[in-house]
Amino acid sequence: MPSKRPLLEILHRYRWRYALGAVCVVATTALRLTIPRFLWSGLDALSVAQHAQGTLSAAELSRLEGVVARAALWIVLAALLQAPVRTASRLAVLGASRRVAHDLLQRVFDVLLRLSPSFFLRNPTGQLMSRCINDRNFVRGLSGPVFMYMAETITLYAIAVPLLLSIDARLGGLALLPYPVFLVLARVIARGIQEEARLAQEALSDVSEKVDESLSGELVIKTLAIEDSDYARFDERCRAYRRHNLRVAWLRALLTGSMMALAGLSTTLVVWIGGPRVVRGEMSIEDFGLLLTYLAWLAGPTRTLGFVISSMRRGLAAYGRIAEILEAEPELADPPRVGPAPTVGAGALSLRGLTLTYPPLSEQPHLSGSLPEHLVGSAQDRPRTVLRDVTLEVPAGTTLGVVGHTGAGKTTLARVLARQLAIEPGQVFLDDVDLCDYDLAEVRRHTGFVPQEAFLFSATLAENVALGRPDAPREEVAAAVRAAQLQQDLDQLPQGLDTLLGERGVNLSGGQRQRTALARVLLLDPRLLILDDTLSAVDPPTADAILAHLRPFAARRTTLLVAHRLSTVRHAEQIVVLEDGAVVERGTHAQLLALGGRYADTWRSQEDGAAQARRARELEPRGEPS
Amino acid sequence: MSGPDRERREGGLRDDARLAVRLWHFVRPHQAWLWGSLVLLLLASAAGLAQPWLLRLVLDQHLAPGKLEGLGALVATFVGALVLELVLRSAQGLLLEVAGQNALLDLRRAVFRHLQRLATAFFDRTPTGKLIGRVTTDVEALQELFASGVVTILADLLTLTAIVGILLWMSWQLTLVTLLVVPVLLAVTIFIRRHVRDAYGVMIGRRSRLNASLHEKSSGMSLIQAFRREADMRADFGEDNAGLRDAELRTVLWESVLSTATDLLSSLTSALIVWYGGGLAIEALGLEQAAAELRGAVTVGVLFAFLQYMDRFFGPLNDLSLKYTVMQSALTAASRIFELLDQDQVLPEAAQPVDPGPPRGEIRFEGVTFGYDPAQPVLRELSFRVRPGESVAIVGATGAGKTTILKLLSRLYDVQTGRILLDGVDLREYALHDLRRRVGIVPQDVFLFRGDVLENIRLGHPEVSEEEARAAADQLHLDEVVARLPGGYRELVRERGANLSAGERQLIAFARVLALEPGVLALDEATSNVDTRLEELLQEAVATVMGGRTSLVIAHRLSTIRDVDRILVFAKGRLVEEGSHDELLARRGAYWRLHSMQFSEPA
Ligand SMILES: Nc1ncnc2c1ncn2[C@@H]1O[C@H](COP(=O)(O)OP(=O)(O)OP(=O)(O)O)[C@@H](O)[C@H]1O
Ligand SMILES: Nc1ncnc2c1ncn2[C@@H]1O[C@H](COP(=O)(O)OP(=O)(O)O)[C@@H](O)[C@H]1O
Ligand SMILES: [Mg+2]
Ligand SMILES: [Mg+2]
Repeated sequence: MPSKRPLLEILHRYRWRYALGAVCVVATTALRLTIPRFLWSGLDALSVAQHAQGTLSAAELSRLEGVVARAALWIVLAALLQAPVRTASRLAVLGASRRVAHDLLQRVFDVLLRLSPSFFLRNPTGQLMSRCINDRNFVRGLSGPVFMYMAETITLYAIAVPLLLSIDARLGGLALLPYPVFLVLARVIARGIQEEARLAQEALSDVSEKVDESLSGELVIKTLAIEDSDYARFDERCRAYRRHNLRVAWLRALLTGSMMALAGLSTTLVVWIGGPRVVRGEMSIEDFGLLLTYLAWLAGPTRTLGFVISSMRRGLAAYGRIAEILEAEPELADPPRVGPAPTVGAGALSLRGLTLTYPPLSEQPHLSGSLPEHLVGSAQDRPRTVLRDVTLEVPAGTTLGVVGHTGAGKTTLARVLARQLAIEPGQVFLDDVDLCDYDLAEVRRHTGFVPQEAFLFSATLAENVALGRPDAPREEVAAAVRAAQLQQDLDQLPQGLDTLLGERGVNLSGGQRQRTALARVLLLDPRLLILDDTLSAVDPPTADAILAHLRPFAARRTTLLVAHRLSTVRHAEQIVVLEDGAVVERGTHAQLLALGGRYADTWRSQEDGAAQARRARELEPRGEPS
Repeated sequence: MSGPDRERREGGLRDDARLAVRLWHFVRPHQAWLWGSLVLLLLASAAGLAQPWLLRLVLDQHLAPGKLEGLGALVATFVGALVLELVLRSAQGLLLEVAGQNALLDLRRAVFRHLQRLATAFFDRTPTGKLIGRVTTDVEALQELFASGVVTILADLLTLTAIVGILLWMSWQLTLVTLLVVPVLLAVTIFIRRHVRDAYGVMIGRRSRLNASLHEKSSGMSLIQAFRREADMRADFGEDNAGLRDAELRTVLWESVLSTATDLLSSLTSALIVWYGGGLAIEALGLEQAAAELRGAVTVGVLFAFLQYMDRFFGPLNDLSLKYTVMQSALTAASRIFELLDQDQVLPEAAQPVDPGPPRGEIRFEGVTFGYDPAQPVLRELSFRVRPGESVAIVGATGAGKTTILKLLSRLYDVQTGRILLDGVDLREYALHDLRRRVGIVPQDVFLFRGDVLENIRLGHPEVSEEEARAAADQLHLDEVVARLPGGYRELVRERGANLSAGERQLIAFARVLALEPGVLALDEATSNVDTRLEELLQEAVATVMGGRTSLVIAHRLSTIRDVDRILVFAKGRLVEEGSHDELLARRGAYWRLHSMQFSEPA
């Protein structure tokens, strides 16, 4: 069970509102309870008079009229008093509940901002969204309506029970006898509701995740014409959600049913036992009526109590799911420190036996429902090593080319250096300081990382380029755009640099996206430049032009260049070939060619393809196109 | 990071009625549950209404005159009514829940189905997060309407009628006085409704915005962190979050006003009854017993019952006006959902699809002009032909429109002028489904589904057996790659396949299409992240698998395209050259320029 601390803290923030709300609830309830006194005193007077039907004097009748008028007046008065107080209580409590929901969500977002990429890898976005929005709505119910009903119920009980007992202790006590038994029963059912509600909320998350997936994969679904099977997957999740909801409804019906039975039982006891006593004259009809009325007051909240308890449990279940996010630990965090924080210097990199192992599935922290249970304990539930003992020295200002087969670990290496993947300390040193000893922000400030897959935000192109420096002057943005060879595409975009991009930049071509992502880092002044196969979707002439612009930029920085096209890395001071996470070859382009290993093989087959082209160019008398 | 905020007024009473009719469409298939629930509810209400009546009898006939005999039977009847009410009410609630949940399920399905039909152009400009909210949260808001709406409202109305009947029978003067309040309540409700509706409209708009913002920010979180924009994103999100809160606070305000108003009115009516009814009773007291009975005068018991009925009268009446408010939230959500369902950006399907016969794999573009924005053509007057069985490469600078050609070929968008023929038939005359089965596109942007590797290869095609899928994958040498994964072909694939390397993802997406053995294979930079050795192996594999079938290849690495029959060179949406590799090199035109630089020594 996750801790309730965060919720309580937020509730505490609004304690005065809740206090005001509670006071108002008590006041209105008390006011309302005085009404039956007057009503019944009026009725009692009338009913006594009824015995003397037809024989009443005019004075007698006008006295009765006075009693009745007073009762009516009091009701009006009480109602007028009640109105503002009631409004105040609603505004205070319901208002607070919206604020609580807001604060809670803001807190969740703050936590999300700190969580590492691995968290977002393991927990699908659609699921997170459902926790943030759908579960939030139930917490809102918990901190608002549920609180009000609870306060009202408790007040009613607190006022009506003593009154009940003061009228007739024995009879009142008897009427209250069934309560404890039923409340215990209610607890048991309520627990069932909470568990089932949690499952229902989880199922709703699954629905949300599926919708996200189907919308994001819309192109693939269409081109493969798999709408039907995709729909079937969605449908299955919706059905699961309905199933859990109906189970919750069952339990709720059980709960409200038993609460209604409780209310009925009390009334019956009073009528059964009290009725004869009134007849025998042991009890006044006024007392009897009051007893019944107070019981009726109790019956109202008792009936709704079932509903309130079930809402409360659903709210708690929802809160539990939100709290899970709040309790998630970021894998990457600033180290605890006493002295001053180290700062990045020239950017000399030193990798000393870097090994990276992903823990087995079952040992990776997941939010509930994110880990496919059937894989726990299966063959693939074992650790996976993707970087093995990588030892490298990259002097400041030099370029390291990284090549290797698909899945060799190039991206993994890049992400370790960009502080996106957690590593054990003592393996990577930046300017002779352990990478793990830096504050995250410090490393990130000095790192320009272009991931393999360009992610763009739905903002303008210029805003996307200026992601790292939102206040960069327009000319600098334009310069970065030019260096990334994006200038030539601007006239194809409706508003040039101010074109609003769609989600993930859908309205750009693949190469345009890559170049935008590249332009982002060109606008920065990083010590460490990490380019992960960032020109794969760019045509060769453009790529060459980019590289030409990049060379002076990279020359002043420590650069990690990942590529499949060897022409991209051939000028690097040092090139390593990764195979299954280990460095198998290293050296300069010439050295590697001389070595005659993997690198040389790859070079030859890529070279082969270009040979004809080159021959053709050599035939051209005034050849060199600029 | 921001989108236009849609906050506007909407919905008169007539719109509500229209919405209700459309919603009824989803409830209708489940109406049996509803009617069952209604019947139970009426019975339960009858049992409930009997209770004050019985208590009145206890008072009037036994307690006041001091008569004991018969009291037991009366109390037993009372208990019976109680139990009956309890059982009926529980059962009724359940039936209602079933009806509601079924209707919600149908609505979700309908929205999802509609989303599937919507054209790609729609998704180009609609944030995913917003649509997710429509299918989950907004549909959820209708629960209230389905669960308590229809039936309870009907029942409330019936109960009200019944009570008015009983009241009239007990004392018509008193009843008329009591009913004075109804028009007032109605006026108040209608007045406030307007504000409530507006407030909810704003709220739902802001919630959509928050959804979209949250979705994008969690998808791009690693980038936000890498570029240290946390503080800005926090502020940005905080603004959306506060916007939602403020909108919600407005709804609270109006709800509270309405609830107070109805409460006040009901108390005033009680006072009226006491005062006026008391007066009548007193007047009756002045008469002889017989005369009083003759005139059916108001007795104390009547007064008591009257007051109790008033509670039961105002209960539903208050409820109705409150429910009507709650329903405003549901109706607003419903109107947004229907807005989505009314979104008609769907590619028109041929009413009588042509049967194009067995696939041959001939593609013809005839004077095709297309722009995502019609004012800005991406492809201009494009004409070319791919013969059956031919392998053709498409090359050109980035942004030249290569991907766009393939998108048009599988009819994700419709051309603006000209036409595209596949096997001699205009794409628009195909059934979409048939067309897309004929053309297998390995897209530039790989998308994998949550599940495992094999599931992703077989994706939605039960006719592809597990063995066939493996065979297709092995042909692409995927086995070699997959062998490195702990789970092999059963390796868990996370959201978008983010736990796999880019090359691995491309290979899986490739195998997925190859397993379907399409008549036309189109590769859009399908191996751009794959290493050279694998790429060459793939090329050979594709040549054998596709042997004799048409293929279109977009690639930048020259090595990938040198063996094709013909090369089409594009620049800025126009076909500028075509011919075989050697011909084009000999021509020393655009193609030659495009590729002569590869591996050139830097100046
Ligand atoms: N979060 C993860 N959990 C487990 N395995 C992972 C995870 N991320 C990546 N891998 C695996 O680690 C291996 C190396 O991945 P990486 O992305 O570094 O390869 P790469 O060299 O960049 O390949 P490519 O050239 O295809 O981009 C791959 O086999 C991949 O499946
Ligand atoms: N969904 C879209 N909406 C608007 N414009 C788009 C969309 N997709 C691509 N474009 C634009 O169309 C042009 C051609 O894109 P594309 O066909 O993807 O190029 P490529 O030749 O690199 O594959 C580009 O200028 C791009 O910005
Ligand atoms: Mg990679
Ligand atoms: Mg493209």
